[in-house]
Amino acid sequence: MGFSAPWFLTGLAAIALPIYIHLLRQHHAEPLRFSSLMFFEKRVQSSVRRRRLQHWLLFALRAALIGTLALSFADPFIRGPAGSADASARVVVLAVDHSFSMRAEGRLERAKREAMSLAASLPPGSRMQVISLGSGVKVLTQPVADLGEIRSAIASIEASDSRAAYAELAQALKALAPALKAHIEVHLFSDMQRSGLPASFADLTLPEGVRLIAHPVSSGRTPNWTVETVDSPHRIYDPAKVRIQATIAGFGAPPAKRRVSLVVGGKTLETREVDVPASGRAPVEFTRIELPHGFSKAEVRLEPGDALPDDDRFLFSLERVEPQRILFVHEPERTRALLYVRAALEAASGPAFTIDAVPTGQTSGITLDRYSLVILSDTGALPGPFLEALKNRVRLGGGLFVAAGSAMASRSQAPVLGVPCRGIEYAAREGERYLSAGFVDSTHPVLRNANQFQGVKFFETVRFEPGSGRVLARLSNQSPLLIEGKLGAGNVLLFASTLDNLANDFPLHAAFVPFVEQTALYLAGLQDSPASHVVDSYYELRAAAEPAASVEVLDPFSKRILSLGESAAARSIQLIAQGYYQVRRANGRNDLVAVNADRRESDLETLPADAISLWQNTGAGEPVSSGAPATARKSLWRYFLAAALAILLVESALSTRYLGDLGEQRVRFPAGRRAA
Amino acid sequence: MLQRFLSPSVLAGISGLELVAKTVVEGFVAGLHRSPDFGFSQEFAEYRAYSEGDDLRHIDWNVFARTERAYLKRYRGETNTLVTILLDASASMGFGSHEVSKIDYARYLCASVFYLAIHQQRDGAGIIVFDDEVRDFVRPSTRQGQLYRLLHALEKAEPKARTDFAKPFLHLQQCLRKRGIVVVVSDFYETPDKVIRTVDPLRFRGSELLLLHVLDPRELDPGLHAPARLVDMETGASLEVSPEYVANEYRQRLGAHIASLEAKARAAGIDYFLLDTSRPLDAALREYLSLRAGRM
Repeated sequence: MGFSAPWFLTGLAAIALPIYIHLLRQHHAEPLRFSSLMFFEKRVQSSVRRRRLQHWLLFALRAALIGTLALSFADPFIRGPAGSADASARVVVLAVDHSFSMRAEGRLERAKREAMSLAASLPPGSRMQVISLGSGVKVLTQPVADLGEIRSAIASIEASDSRAAYAELAQALKALAPALKAHIEVHLFSDMQRSGLPASFADLTLPEGVRLIAHPVSSGRTPNWTVETVDSPHRIYDPAKVRIQATIAGFGAPPAKRRVSLVVGGKTLETREVDVPASGRAPVEFTRIELPHGFSKAEVRLEPGDALPDDDRFLFSLERVEPQRILFVHEPERTRALLYVRAALEAASGPAFTIDAVPTGQTSGITLDRYSLVILSDTGALPGPFLEALKNRVRLGGGLFVAAGSAMASRSQAPVLGVPCRGIEYAAREGERYLSAGFVDSTHPVLRNANQFQGVKFFETVRFEPGSGRVLARLSNQSPLLIEGKLGAGNVLLFASTLDNLANDFPLHAAFVPFVEQTALYLAGLQDSPASHVVDSYYELRAAAEPAASVEVLDPFSKRILSLGESAAARSIQLIAQGYYQVRRANGRNDLVAVNADRRESDLETLPADAISLWQNTGAGEPVSSGAPATARKSLWRYFLAAALAILLVESALSTRYLGDLGEQRVRFPAGRRAA
Repeated sequence: MLQRFLSPSVLAGISGLELVAKTVVEGFVAGLHRSPDFGFSQEFAEYRAYSEGDDLRHIDWNVFARTERAYLKRYRGETNTLVTILLDASASMGFGSHEVSKIDYARYLCASVFYLAIHQQRDGAGIIVFDDEVRDFVRPSTRQGQLYRLLHALEKAEPKARTDFAKPFLHLQQCLRKRGIVVVVSDFYETPDKVIRTVDPLRFRGSELLLLHVLDPRELDPGLHAPARLVDMETGASLEVSPEYVANEYRQRLGAHIASLEAKARAAGIDYFLLDTSRPLDAALREYLSLRAGRM
């Protein structure tokens, strides 16, 4: 017999309590007033002896009550046969790993064969259940004794592109065990990949009554090479200036020479030979990129093939787009801000943007549809038609950036956004001399890399009332520095200072370049997305605030994966297969999403035997050894608790009887006449 | 005849002692057959030869003229008598295991006797309330308003201190000039010898003595079921006693005490009657008066 929680046995020390009460404590009878003691004599010894005798059974019951309670909390158990004789009390779970690595060397087929073989070898009437293991666990059958159903379920398991997660198996068994209420024997058919282990071994702990038997389907360590990463922009404006870098990794592999090719749209653009060191990595860079306009399916291909050919291709998507046009409106002869903004955009985004600079007096007749972003650089009065056209453009999704200075401070409100302007403020020469940024919302995409305006000195700012706008940054005097406003489908950013290195020294700081770049991308709706995703990751279909425009998603097999309702409401999808997903939106913002299997699956190193043994022993608590009869724990706490309850009832009856006697005595000597 | 007696708890619910007394007396008087010897009053019984110390006023001079011998008249009832009650108000009389304590019961008893004596028989009545001292004394009288003075003295009689028979009886001997009936109401937690020795001199003065022994039922049978520490209400001394002792030896000793007191009282020509406070007072009085009438 053992105890699951032996520290509760310390509760046995509480037996000292009844010992104290019954045997050690001086009995102090409640004094009762009596008319005269003329006819009484002191007979203490007799009464004490009688009392002790009378309470002996009560003491024994109370000590037994505490003892049984402490024992029940300590969860005593005995070991017995694991119920092999009783087939109905056992469920055999057949867990088949169908992760990406099981594609190597026909491991999945071997696992399925072994699972079927085991199912056929079990005694008739044995209850079996089939589950598949990938990044999650999928229950394929209920516990059944029908061998045909089990065979069918095993046969239906197909290789997936997911990553094995053994912790998921442990979690699933913890959920299954209470429901099955039987001893569970889990047979895991897997390549027992080391990379499937969780960060903490504790996550692998099996529940009580579960016995794990591993059936490794791989032998030793198989060398494998893979294209581990590809570094490429998703959106390409000038292919001649693009470089695509890839990393070739060898896992458990000897030094080898591999041929790496860049394939775009089915056409091999460039091929290179690389020397991959033993169990090492080698970089490859491709520079000759030819790309048609629009989306292109691209991949970096590794040759010759190896044990796991599916990871020899790394898929990514490219979109060639024309540079975005920015309309930069400024006061005549005040072009310093243009200089800094243009320099920042060219430094950060290269050819992504082209800037058309226009003085305020020449804005009439400009067609704003061509511009994805308009920048008003401390403009004074603007022509009414231009302002109206600008508002309409923003309402339809265009972006607007307003930098406010002395010219704009003379107006009563900010253009387009319409927030009230309270005039210009200068940092006093005698006072603080300059203002700094006091609060910055670094969660906003524009400010994520802006280094929180650290060290930037603001000498001249315009005070705006934010109204319904969102304040993204404040100055040290709490006046808003950057305000975001919504107008229709478009965004407006209002900067309460200029970009000309006069009102502040922001253009001289390193944060200026990412700020301008991110602002331009954000307002133009061109926030960069990765060229490739990993299997089982999620892809965002629409932002929360976007209207319910229909989205259509085709998976790598050109099947629609969203129902009609989902296409109108789904915010994201899980990318479950390797390949290209096509996303088609009603507003024309389509996307091509490349998905690759997690490259940790490419490391085919298996778990050492001692690690597997350690995992197996976390369940039933007894070592699993071949040939030894399996044992199971039988918990006894319920019996102890029932005994405690019975003892409690008897104790209650006895103590009531005893206390009843005392109570009766008190009734006979009324309380009002008792001695104080 | 079916007689419904009043339980002590009913009496305890009646606020006025006079009403209690009236209720009790009318209850048992109505249930008794009229008897020529009924009552506490004395009637002429016989002549007794004069002895030194006798009051000369009681000499029948007509007889002396005829016989030249001095004889005293002995009375049975033709003249009114004086009823004096000695009420023990010691702390032990405060004991009670139910609604009516011993002192309450004694109050009802005294009030009933006073009512009977004053209203029914036109006798004089008086009271001495004592513990270890004489706490209150109302001289026996037949004056108007005497009943209320007596009842007031009863109301004031709260139990406290210890019992000492010597002082009140000495006081009574000094104050009681006329013969009469002396009723001692007490729980008699004193040795029977001492009690009799104390009260006996009154009898030699021609008074009739009656000891009314008032005890609570729990005094007669404490019925302890567990060891208990008892505190003496008079002395404050405490004692742990066992149920076995109470069930055996205590009963025997109390029984011996009662028997001894009764025997010694009878031997001394003193009436003795035990009153259990759980018993209806009118029933007890009726029983006693019937017994007394039978003895006379």
